[in-house]
Amino acid sequence: MLPGFNLSLGFTLFYLGLIVLIPLSAVFWKTSTLSWSQFWDTVTMPTALASYRLTFGTSFLAALANAFFGLIVAWVLVRYEFFGKRIVDAMVDLPFALPTAVAGITLATLYAQSGWIGRFLTPLGIHAANSQLGIFVALTFIGLPFIVRTVQPVLEDLEPELEEAATSLGANRWQVFWRVILPMLAPALLTGFALAFARALGEYGSVIFIAGNIPMKTQITPVIIMAELDMFDYAKATAIAVVMLVSSFVLLLGINILQWWTNRYNTTNLA
Amino acid sequence: MSVEVKNAIKQFGAFTALDRVSLKVESGELVALLGPSGSGKTTLLRMIAGLEFPDNPQESQILFYGEDVTTIPASERKAGFAFQHYALFRHMSVFENIAFGLRVRPKTTRPPEKEIRARVEKLLRLIQMEPLGPRFPSQLSGGQRQRVALARALAVEPKVLLLDEPFGALDAKVRKDLRRWLRQLHDEIHVTTLFVTHDQEEALEVADRVAILRAGRIEQIGTPDEIYDRPASSFVYDFLGNVNLFSGRIKDDSVVIGETAFALTEKSGAEDTDAVAFVRPHDIRVTRSASGQSTLPARVVRCHAAGPLANLELERLDGGGWFTVQLSREQFHELQPRTGETVYVELKTVKVFAESLPINYSI
Repeated sequence: MLPGFNLSLGFTLFYLGLIVLIPLSAVFWKTSTLSWSQFWDTVTMPTALASYRLTFGTSFLAALANAFFGLIVAWVLVRYEFFGKRIVDAMVDLPFALPTAVAGITLATLYAQSGWIGRFLTPLGIHAANSQLGIFVALTFIGLPFIVRTVQPVLEDLEPELEEAATSLGANRWQVFWRVILPMLAPALLTGFALAFARALGEYGSVIFIAGNIPMKTQITPVIIMAELDMFDYAKATAIAVVMLVSSFVLLLGINILQWWTNRYNTTNLA
Repeated sequence: MSVEVKNAIKQFGAFTALDRVSLKVESGELVALLGPSGSGKTTLLRMIAGLEFPDNPQESQILFYGEDVTTIPASERKAGFAFQHYALFRHMSVFENIAFGLRVRPKTTRPPEKEIRARVEKLLRLIQMEPLGPRFPSQLSGGQRQRVALARALAVEPKVLLLDEPFGALDAKVRKDLRRWLRQLHDEIHVTTLFVTHDQEEALEVADRVAILRAGRIEQIGTPDEIYDRPASSFVYDFLGNVNLFSGRIKDDSVVIGETAFALTEKSGAEDTDAVAFVRPHDIRVTRSASGQSTLPARVVRCHAAGPLANLELERLDGGGWFTVQLSREQFHELQPRTGETVYVELKTVKVFAESLPINYSI
């Protein structure tokens, strides 16, 4: 074993405890001040149930859309040389860097009925502002870099020989992509998907401006938690937070298992 | 019946990889493409596979058994290709790697699952890896990976098997075993095979014929014996290695090395031209006294007699540099050379190449 194991493990556990576990356990502790029936009533109230569906549903769809389009962006950035490539590459990180409230206000302005984009959508009967579509747009915006930045390095490391080998064995370009390239990218793609999905679940700033926050329709779960906090009902707020926390954890665990499975050929090394 | 390349040119920017190369490989032959790096051997191999295309498609041709495949893409050429670093599909088991070429066939020509299994099993037996089908490539040794890559290429029943430095990434012991195995395999299945190497020993040991490439041209092609015994140029001689160079001058019917004149077997008709004499270390005789006229005096710098042959490092007394002599153990014990003493050497088989002349001579 490398020297310094005890010290570094101790530090890791202390750090995780301080930064992650203590705040999270406070959520559970505060929730436990509610009785079981109070807890159940809070987390199953119709507005909360609608918000779970909305939050998890749109987050999932946004991450899925990013997985698809982010893969294309990463592909173009790795496989082609073109003028302004570095600028495009830098632009991918903008959603990371931009304060989410700024992004939210910008998107809300663009997609409003009279906005630059909204004015073309309204005649088509598409209303992005104050709708679930708007939430989807905002969540897609903040999730894009996760996919691109996880897939890009893996794609760069993919040896051209693999594709040449597949081609010389008679595979057409489509088969090369589906049978060779995509399976090799799958672990990275899933990691990116999980990160984008997790980020979208907790997103608040960029959504509230464009969503309109109409209960039962466009109210995401973090907004409900904020509403409870505004009424100083901390226990209720944390109860809903517990639901978010547990379900997010279960989902991410599932994605991690899936990712481990797609990557099993790398982890089962010869002893 | 042959695989043939005619008049192919390939350039990468300002670099000429192939300079009007023509090559003919007979059906069932095992041919080595030997040359230093940058000589174009890999480019030639990739061109046969369809992974590169000639720059002069009008003048050049690639033929597989008479069929013109010059413009046919790699996926339809049926040329099996094995890469130096194997290029195995990491996410597939050994079994699936080998089955890949059969599974990607269009429905009409794809064999049924049962036949695919049977063929993969047969290939696993051929590469002596029967129980390892379910393993992933990361669980195999380098030699095993290269054998899987070979089986994968053979699964599609290729018209020609192309191996790019197949043993380049392996250690010395595995290399030797695997090249012997490749020779046996070839004797068993007789698929027309070309392999690229920069190791002359490997080429001479394994191949039926060896093509030596230099700067995008084929310098000489022939059986290992022909190449070793009758090198066509000083480059081939030098590249095959294990040779001493004596620079001198050709004067009519003799070559002068240092102060000693050696008679040529044929008249050169040349007047005083620079020339280089090539002598293999085992074609030199060492004596204590200057017996004939055609001997060179030299000083013993180092002797080491470990192994079946004894090596002497000698330094010419005329200042012409060092050279190596190989003696059998008996000769060595007879002579008992001591470091620092002066000996006389006689050159038994010499090939002289005159740089400015088109003809080569021997003594």
